[in-house]
Amino acid sequence: MELLDRYLQAVKKHLPWQRQDDIIAELRANLESQLDEKQAELGRPLTPAEAEAWIQQLGSPVRMASHYQPQQYLIGPAIYPAYLHVLRIASMWALAIYTLVATITIVLGPSISGAAVAQAAFRLPSIVIQVAAWVTLVFAALEFIATRYPGKCPPIAGFYANWSPSTLPPLEPVPAPGTKRPSYTQAVTEVIFGFVVLTWLVLVPRHPFLMFGPGIAFLHASPFRLNPILLTFYWWIVGLNALQLAWRCIDLLRGAWQHPGPLRHIVSKLFGAIPLVLLAYLPGSAYVLLRHPETDMSRYAQTADSTNRGIHAGLQVLCVIVILQLAWDVAQALVSVLRGSQQPR
Amino acid sequence: MTLPESTFENLRLELRRGCLTLAVLVQLRSEHYGYTLRKDLADRGLVIDESTLYPLLRRLETQGLLVSEWREEEKRNKRFYRLSSDGEQILGQLLQEWQAINTSISSML
Repeated sequence: MELLDRYLQAVKKHLPWQRQDDIIAELRANLESQLDEKQAELGRPLTPAEAEAWIQQLGSPVRMASHYQPQQYLIGPAIYPAYLHVLRIASMWALAIYTLVATITIVLGPSISGAAVAQAAFRLPSIVIQVAAWVTLVFAALEFIATRYPGKCPPIAGFYANWSPSTLPPLEPVPAPGTKRPSYTQAVTEVIFGFVVLTWLVLVPRHPFLMFGPGIAFLHASPFRLNPILLTFYWWIVGLNALQLAWRCIDLLRGAWQHPGPLRHIVSKLFGAIPLVLLAYLPGSAYVLLRHPETDMSRYAQTADSTNRGIHAGLQVLCVIVILQLAWDVAQALVSVLRGSQQPR
Repeated sequence: MTLPESTFENLRLELRRGCLTLAVLVQLRSEHYGYTLRKDLADRGLVIDESTLYPLLRRLETQGLLVSEWREEEKRNKRFYRLSSDGEQILGQLLQEWQAINTSISSML
């Protein structure tokens, strides 16, 4: 029957090439037996419509051929948990390292512009996709080797098979009654907002209107200017933000966003305290300078001096507060570590 | 298809998948070729698509559970399958497993 021949011809195109002829010969024999029985029951050959209906119910040629393909996973169930774990860690590190490197590159680059920041931001998804593609490729290769040469790859299949209850992490602290754990949405929103704030902070020195708005015109017209050394501390703050953001991303990808450790808080406070202390002891406490000292000294020197004294006093108070808070956080962390080590096992 | 219907269909296919292999091995204690095997199974209430049964026979042969040979019958070359010695051993073990499961399920009902 011509329709059957055409069907088998179409199936053959999608079969594994080494066994095409053998499979088609067997399929032809079975289908012709089926056709003979149908025609014997009817006492006549099938009409074109009946033949078409019969071929239709066999399924499409691609579907028929697909069942003859060897069953193989791209990444099988034995190593899939390991793949997911490695993918998360690799994506997390790629995200954190890229954020840090991009921030440093933009800050130290020839110009800090919105275009450079936008370019860095738009490159981020491609970085993460590339990392994911490489991890997937490696695990697909491992699956291929494990399937074809099972004797050579026992450790892969047994990745999670050999574990010990003694390696389980300690119990997580129960939140105090009335306190609410941060939700996943909140954690993701904080990260997204963190990226936005970091971008804004990087752009402000080049485009001060982003911070001061139209008021920047008054600042340019005023007889005062900020000491350029303050810019160094500004970039320290930007670096601290980048560090905090990277840490938050790591917590999110590690699944530890509900229980951020005290270390992050302490390290952030310490990094924030260093420039404060240095600023508070800036030589001469010259935070604000005269734009044209040769002409404005007599009129505005006293104003600049009292402004600097006020800023200096404020910074000293802020230093004391931050240092006390840091000491308190460190003490609390030490107490909880001591309590944890003293609890019976 | 509604969600309950599609859920049932997925679970039904999973349940049938293992049973079909057992049924095929049982029937191949005597020699069959693809079409007669399918007909025999259908007569006993187990309807299997051609696209499922014929590749299954190939797979079981690759796994060493079946042996096959081409023979001419009624002026047509046909591929006849039967259980190998490994296939008989595996079938015995699968039947024990099947009976144990059957007994457990029956005791729960």
